[in-house]
Amino acid sequence: MIIEAKEVSMCYRMTYDRVQSLKEYLVQMVKGKIKYREFWALKDVSFQVRKGEVLGIVGHNGAGKSTLLKVISGILKPTGGEVAVNGTVVPMLELGSGFDFDLTGRENIFLNGAILGYSEEFLKEKYDEIVAFSELGQFIDVPLRNYSSGMVMRLAFSVATVVNPDILIVDEILAVGDADFQAKSKARMLELMGGGTTVLFVSHSLDQIREMCDRVLWLDHGQVKMLGETKTVCDGYEKG
Amino acid sequence: MKQKSLKKGCAIFLALYLVLAAVFFWIGGDQFSFQDMRTDMLTGAGVLEEITAGVTVRQQIPLQGDELTGLTLYGATYGRQNTGALVLELYDGDRLLGSRTVDVSTLADNATFDVAFGGVDISGLSRAELQITAPEAAPGNAVTLYFGNAYSASRNQVSANLKEDELVRVNGTALDGGLCLQVHTRQPLWFGQFYWWLAGAGFVLLAGYCLLLLRKNRAGKHSALLNVLVAFSRYKYLMKQLVARDFKTKYKRSVLGVLWSFLNPLLTMSVQYIVFSTLFRSDIPNFALYLLTGIVCFNFFSEAASMSLTSIVGNASLITKVYVPKYIYPLTRVMSSTVNFLLALIPLLAVMLITRTPFRPSLFLLPLGVLCLFTLALGMGLLLASAMVFFRDTQFLWGVVNMLWMYATPIFYPESIIPAQFLPLYKCNPLYHIIRFIRIVLMDGVSPEPKAYALMLIASLVPLVIGTLVFKKTQDRFVLNI
Repeated sequence: MIIEAKEVSMCYRMTYDRVQSLKEYLVQMVKGKIKYREFWALKDVSFQVRKGEVLGIVGHNGAGKSTLLKVISGILKPTGGEVAVNGTVVPMLELGSGFDFDLTGRENIFLNGAILGYSEEFLKEKYDEIVAFSELGQFIDVPLRNYSSGMVMRLAFSVATVVNPDILIVDEILAVGDADFQAKSKARMLELMGGGTTVLFVSHSLDQIREMCDRVLWLDHGQVKMLGETKTVCDGYEKG
Repeated sequence: MKQKSLKKGCAIFLALYLVLAAVFFWIGGDQFSFQDMRTDMLTGAGVLEEITAGVTVRQQIPLQGDELTGLTLYGATYGRQNTGALVLELYDGDRLLGSRTVDVSTLADNATFDVAFGGVDISGLSRAELQITAPEAAPGNAVTLYFGNAYSASRNQVSANLKEDELVRVNGTALDGGLCLQVHTRQPLWFGQFYWWLAGAGFVLLAGYCLLLLRKNRAGKHSALLNVLVAFSRYKYLMKQLVARDFKTKYKRSVLGVLWSFLNPLLTMSVQYIVFSTLFRSDIPNFALYLLTGIVCFNFFSEAASMSLTSIVGNASLITKVYVPKYIYPLTRVMSSTVNFLLALIPLLAVMLITRTPFRPSLFLLPLGVLCLFTLALGMGLLLASAMVFFRDTQFLWGVVNMLWMYATPIFYPESIIPAQFLPLYKCNPLYHIIRFIRIVLMDGVSPEPKAYALMLIASLVPLVIGTLVFKKTQDRFVLNI
C-alpha cells in the first residue's frame, strides 16, 4: 500500500469574525464574544491506494476533496486519524505560485524545481527538456516580469510536469496557453498519469475520470459516500 | 545513511574536535588560566610635594586575587629630566612582600607609568601598605606623584568617599585623597587548570556518542541527529536556492548592487562617527572600530529577525500548497542575512587595517561569535515568525522593540555610562554579551575570560531553545491562520 488513510478527520474551528490583532482579541475576549463554530471538512475517511493505481476523487464543491489532498501531501495535519504515505509526493501547484518575478526564467526553473522537491542533478539533467517544452527559447534569460502571462503559464507548466514522483497529485487537468500548447499540455498530463505512477486525480469532468481512473472515491460533506470501481461510482454520482 | 560514510564523518568530526581543542587552548592562552584584575584609578587633583631623601609616602592599597603583578602610578617630573630612583616597597604589617626600584630618568611629565612586580604572592591578604621613598633625591632633582579623591565617570566626577586609613600619608601626615594608582592582580582560574581534563572528558563523551550512533544506524534505528542530517541533505538544495533568491532579488535593479552590502554599514558608521566624535565627545579608544563592530552586529541581528518575521506569512501561497518543513523559511532568511553580514565583515577588516589594529590569533575566535549571533537571530526569528502568524500586530510591535533594543545595546556608547544599579538588568540583553565578545576578540586581540564564553553561549542558546519550542508547538496551526 503506498497510501493508507485511517479514519482521517479534519476539523476547522471558525470564529465568526477572524480576529487578527491582539487588541481585537482582547476586546472580544472581554466581551465574551469569541465563539467557535466547528466545521468538519473530513470525517472518518478511510481508504487505501495501491502502487501504480490511479484513484479519482469526485464530489461537489466543499465536499472536502482539496482538504483531503492537502492532508495527504502533508500540508495539513489531520485533527484525527492518520495517513501513511510511502514515497515522495509531488503536488501540481497552482501554476507559478513559487515564482519570483524579479528572477529570470532560468533562475525560476531551479527555484521552483527546488520548492517542488526536485534534486539539483535531476533539474540540471532535465533543464533542456523543460526549456524546449516551454518553447520560450531566447526569453529564458529575461526576468519574469517581462513575460506575457501565457509565457509564465507555459514555463510553470513545463517545470511542474517534468516530475518523476512516486505519487502525483493532480487537482484538475491543466491546459494552458494557446490552442496548440493546450493540446500539448493535455497530452503531457495524460502521459504522466498513464506512466505507471500512483496518481490521485480530482476532477469535475466525469469523462476524464472514466477515461483515466482505476477506482473512484466519492466524497460528500466530508464523508466517504462510495468507494469502488470507476463505473459503479461514476454512475452513482451522476444519479445522485 | 550508509555505515561507511557515517564512520568517515565521525572520524573527521573527532579529529576536528582535537585540533580545535588545541587551537582554542593556544589562542586562549593566559586568559583561560588567570583572571587579571585592575582597580580604578582616581582622577589626579594635585601633586604631592617633591619626593626627596627623607620623604616617605605611605598608602594602603586594596588587594584581591592571589598574585600582584604590577602597579600603575601617575607621576610628574616638574618638566625636567631627573636622575636617581624611586623605591617602592610593599608591606604586610612589618613583613616585606616585595620591592621595586624605578629609574626616574625614564619618566615622562604628567604621565602614567607601570611598575611590574612579576608575581608577588598576596593570597589571603585584603590590603597591604605601599611605601615610596627616594633615598638619593635632592630638591630640584626629584619627581612627585599625583593624588586625588574622585573617579571620573564619563563627564562627571564621582567622589571616592575615601576612609581615614585609605588616605595617602607623607611623613605621617594624611592628605585629602589617595594616590592615583592602579593595582594589577591576577587570580588563577580553575578552567585553565583543568582545561585538558575538560577537553578529554568532552572527547570521551563525543566518541561514546559516535559509537552509539554507529550502532543505532547499523540496527536501522532512527536517532535525532541522523534525522536532522538526512533532512538537511534532503533540503540542502532548496535552502541554497532560497538563499540565492533572497540575495539576487535584494539588489536587483540597483546600480551598485552587491556593493551596498559594504557601503551600508560604512556609511552608517561614518554618520554616527561624525555625530558621536564631534557633537557628543566619547573617550572610547579606537571609536571607529568600536562603532562599526556594533553596527554590523546589530544590523545583522535586526535584519535577520525582521526578515524572519514575515517569512511564514509572506510565503503563505507556498505553505498552503506544497509541503516543505516550515522552519526552512525563517532559517533561509537568517542564512541570507548571514551572507550579507559576512560581506559587511570585509569593510570591518578594512577599518581594522586603517586604524592599525593588530591582527592577532584571537581573530580565529570570531567565527564562534558569529555562530552565536546566528543562533540568537534564528531563535528570535522563529519566535517572531510564529507570533506573526497569529497576531499581525507583531510587526508593529517589533518595530518599537527593535528600536528599544538598539538603544539598550552598547553600539555607539560605552557601557560605562550605564548607572551601576541598572547593570544587572542591562546585562540581561543577550546581544550585549555577544557584541562584547566580538569586540574583545577584534579590538583587544585576546581571548575573553572563560565566563564570557559561558554567558555568550547561554545568551544565544536560551533564545534558540525558546524559539524552537514555540515554533514547533504552533507550526501545525500555521496553515489555518495564514
